[in-house]
Amino acid sequence: MPKKSLLAKHIFISLLVLVLLLAFIFLSFNLFRYISENNDIYILGQSLSTDVSFISIIVFLVIVGFLSYIVFYLISTGRTRIAFAIENVEIKSAMAEKQFAELYNSAPIPYIILNNNGEIIRPNKSTLRFFGVVPEEIVGKDLFTFVLAEDKDKADRILQHYKLNMPIDREELRMFTKNGSVKWVLISVFEINAKKGDGRTGLATIFDISEQKQLDQTKTEFMSLATHQLRTPLATLKWYSDMLLSPNFGSLTDKQTEYVKTIYKVNQDMIDLVDTLLNVSRIEIGTLSVNLESTDVPLIAESILGELASQITNKKINIVKQYNDSLKNIKSDPKLLRIIIQNLMTNAVKYTPEGGTVTLTLIETANSKQISVADTGLGIPKNQQDKIFTKLFRADNVRDISSSQSTGLGLYLIKSLVKVLNGNISFESKENEGSTFTITL
Amino acid sequence: MDIIKLNKTVLTVDDDDNLRNVLVDKLTVTGFETLSAANGEEGLKIILEKHPDAILLDALMPKMNGWQVLEKLREDEWGKTANVIMLTSLEQVDFIAHAMEKGVFTYIVKSNLVLDDVIKIVKNTLHI
Repeated sequence: MPKKSLLAKHIFISLLVLVLLLAFIFLSFNLFRYISENNDIYILGQSLSTDVSFISIIVFLVIVGFLSYIVFYLISTGRTRIAFAIENVEIKSAMAEKQFAELYNSAPIPYIILNNNGEIIRPNKSTLRFFGVVPEEIVGKDLFTFVLAEDKDKADRILQHYKLNMPIDREELRMFTKNGSVKWVLISVFEINAKKGDGRTGLATIFDISEQKQLDQTKTEFMSLATHQLRTPLATLKWYSDMLLSPNFGSLTDKQTEYVKTIYKVNQDMIDLVDTLLNVSRIEIGTLSVNLESTDVPLIAESILGELASQITNKKINIVKQYNDSLKNIKSDPKLLRIIIQNLMTNAVKYTPEGGTVTLTLIETANSKQISVADTGLGIPKNQQDKIFTKLFRADNVRDISSSQSTGLGLYLIKSLVKVLNGNISFESKENEGSTFTITL
Repeated sequence: MDIIKLNKTVLTVDDDDNLRNVLVDKLTVTGFETLSAANGEEGLKIILEKHPDAILLDALMPKMNGWQVLEKLREDEWGKTANVIMLTSLEQVDFIAHAMEKGVFTYIVKSNLVLDDVIKIVKNTLHI
């Protein structure tokens, strides 16, 4: 062991220095005795007294001894000291490595060191517990072989990202274990050894979110059931207020008509809310189906503008239509597309002040079809723009306006539906100037 | 208001009293002869006895649900071509597909339509 040999060398050199010092003292003492017995000493032709000679010789010998030690120390122990410093670093490094290994192995979260190809080099104990395996069953295997077939495409994409040294942060996947159980996980991978080629390694962390998923599923199913049950009484209210407003059973006074219209409108808002909740739960449960068929987007837009006519008139909003026949016959799901455009238009009208402008643009480019809704409304504060598509988000500057009219689910629903239709949504917004949302299909 | 008789009979089968009553009232003031039933079993009995021109049939009901009524109805010689409009409170693709497979004329998601639209659908079914 290099550490032991270094220590022995150091002890040997230290002892050698000590022996030489003792030899100097011994020789000095004997020389002093010789001089003192002859009672005389000459230095540079001058005779010195015994006392002076004695002190001078002692000082001379001490200086010679000290200088010898210094020279010897510099020559011999200099190397030893460097070696010792290296040795200390090595010991500390070994201790740190041992501590890291202990932490790594006993961590409650599954950690896996991967090679450049995503193959498992070193799984910790939590990983073995998670998959229900012994190291021999897992080491050398591609981590993503444990991903469920339904998520294989996503796993391949993650592996490609890893190989290209792109960040992989909390990607949701389903993995199976040795006993066949399926677990939902959040997987993250980051590089821990930036060598190029085969020497490159990465650390993967697997965070089991199966319990949260189960709770989410239960909650979503409950929401779906509850909203379904709400629809019957809402339909009843709708049809009874509808009957009151019809002339079939006599006329109401103006005030009574106004009251019934309010009941009808509030009930309709509730029906819309229930529909939104149902759609969100369908997306989350995975039961939302897409029916692609010939879709007339301008017709959908016109129908939505008709529904919003009274709000547009009341707020004196100027509607600019920038569309022709280009999106009259596209292959899409008209019902889902209607929900998307309806939500965007409703938001634009709701958040645009009186006298503002809302522009609806439908265009077809060489590679895509674009639906864009621009308003001159309140805009979204810059510091909140990264959150606008999250569930229950409501911008701070519209809370007073939308507290009773907004669920915070609209943009989340839009983004989810656009994704279902294999499209993209982007936006530009400036506070107090307006927002533009663009959907590309 | 005078009601113009249409000489057509419409049966409404729904376990929700309120919804059934308002539908019957609307059909009546529109000029239809009306029949009603509060569950599938009762509905099937009336259908086979009275042969209504159109049937508004709720999907989820106690005793016998709408699908079971439809199944039995299609076994009957007259019932094979009976005009059925399914009522539902939930719009689901499998529901629609199943309804079409069973020869249902159309379906109505109750909370989506105003009563005038329901009447239009019934009239379209009967080519009025």
